[in-house]
Amino acid sequence: MDMKQLITRARRGLREEMRLYLVAVSSLAVAFLCLGGALLALTNLSAVARAWGQSSRMTVYLRDGAEAEDVAQLRALVEGLAEVRAVEHLSSEDARAQFLEHSDVEAGLAALPAEVFPASLEITLAQDTGAPRAARIAERIAQFRSVSDVETYRGWFSRLESLLQAGRAIAGALALLVALCVLAVIGNTIRLAVARRREEIEVMKLCGATDEFVRGPFVLEGSFQGFMSALLAVLLLMGGFLLVRDELDATVAALTGVRAAFLHPAALVGLTLGGAAVGAIGSALSLRRYMAV
Amino acid sequence: MRSFDPDDSNVVRPFPFFRAGVRADPSAANRPILVLEDVYKYFRADKPTLRGLNLTVERGEFLFVTGPSGAGKSTLLQLIYRKHTVEEGRILFCGRDIARLTSKSIPYLRRNLGVVFQDFKVVQHWTVFENVAIALEILDMPQRLVRSRVVETLERVGLGGRGGDRTSNLSGGEQQRVAVARAIVTEPALILADEPTGNLDPHLAIDILTLFEEVNETGTTVIFATHDHSLISKRDHRIISIEDGRVSEARRGLRSWSARDIISAADTKRGSGVHKHPVAV
Repeated sequence: MDMKQLITRARRGLREEMRLYLVAVSSLAVAFLCLGGALLALTNLSAVARAWGQSSRMTVYLRDGAEAEDVAQLRALVEGLAEVRAVEHLSSEDARAQFLEHSDVEAGLAALPAEVFPASLEITLAQDTGAPRAARIAERIAQFRSVSDVETYRGWFSRLESLLQAGRAIAGALALLVALCVLAVIGNTIRLAVARRREEIEVMKLCGATDEFVRGPFVLEGSFQGFMSALLAVLLLMGGFLLVRDELDATVAALTGVRAAFLHPAALVGLTLGGAAVGAIGSALSLRRYMAV
Repeated sequence: MRSFDPDDSNVVRPFPFFRAGVRADPSAANRPILVLEDVYKYFRADKPTLRGLNLTVERGEFLFVTGPSGAGKSTLLQLIYRKHTVEEGRILFCGRDIARLTSKSIPYLRRNLGVVFQDFKVVQHWTVFENVAIALEILDMPQRLVRSRVVETLERVGLGGRGGDRTSNLSGGEQQRVAVARAIVTEPALILADEPTGNLDPHLAIDILTLFEEVNETGTTVIFATHDHSLISKRDHRIISIEDGRVSEARRGLRSWSARDIISAADTKRGSGVHKHPVAV
């Protein structure tokens, strides 16, 4: 069967079962929307994890009233470490100013005195500094009497990593669920369409049509349904994302330091082509029982 | 027309030499088109539908298959177009045992057959043209040829100029003409008609029978199953009668045997409950 004939027959099928297919496409779009949403959340969580994982910062909080001499000695020691790229001393005033600059806070908080913000040494480590080495450095620095606390940010990262693991598992399960859902919905839709067009199939089989000839247009219709559903879901997701992006950037991005990003083009292509593939498979599977004429 | 690989022995290819009026292979013309040998078919283990049925149909024949409802007329035709498979015996179509065909080969067998049913089996929401053209589209015939062949065939069955009509708008007789057009448009070697006049009034039934006879005159073999005695009594084609799964009566050349004689003979035997002489034709 040539492609033109195949498309003509599939178009005729789509036209004849338009209402049925519209219902199916909208149901499937919801399923794909769930999958797309999960992927979007995962993408952004991964971006945060990546940014934080690559973060080679360390903050050494100094005790109130620490001697300048002790601080200078500590700074000299830290600067002498091979892994340390830069050390910056932030006084309480500097810390307060930095907080007010980076945070969108109310006037009440702006009135806080500088003493509330501890002085610190902001250390920049080499990018390839491993977590165990950073922990050992932190441990050593913490023994100094002028040091109140050392923040390596690694604890946050490991917590985020486990969150991401869970996110990936959920997204994987959701993808499987959506694939099954798509198979079931497309299968049922095609089964309904096939039941209504059983006579057509019987006629074709009696005229000597091969299974491929009969199946071709239905598979194409299923594939088109899957593709359109996934495309609709992507468009809805993109619309929703554009609506809330500014809000996300003002809140979440300010906290995490990572701007919200939409799905990678490869993921979008994968989602739509995957939709088409799952639609085709669902359609082919549902036709099997009607082929025996 | 699509080309076929003659070396592929796994598939029964269309037999272009069996088209009406075309005799590419002289030896094929001398072989019977259809031979059934000791064919058994069971739908229930304790009651065979066909039991040891023997039948030979020559090329270009017009054969009436008659018998009471449930005798096995439709089963016989269904075995030929491979809706069902025989339990025992052989069915040779053009010398090939179609009972042994793989499921992949069945479409290629059916491309050599035209099948017409009592309930027409036309797609109601398609146009007349689409219903006929599908048989040629299955053969991958170019659209230009499809158009000309369909138009020509519709003229032949008396539906010239009706190609654009929706089939559901046609009368019963016209729908059956569409089914006949679909069956003959590919110029098959054999046409199987399973009670094609069963849903039509007597006047239309004669019209449809005449249509099949016209097709037969071009060289196509026709097997016409019917239990309508009034119909077969009007013609002198060969008749076989199936009763209790056997060909219980068969006669050639009804110019010497009238249909009425055969039917009454069959009735007599049915009354006695004995099938003394199952006849292999």
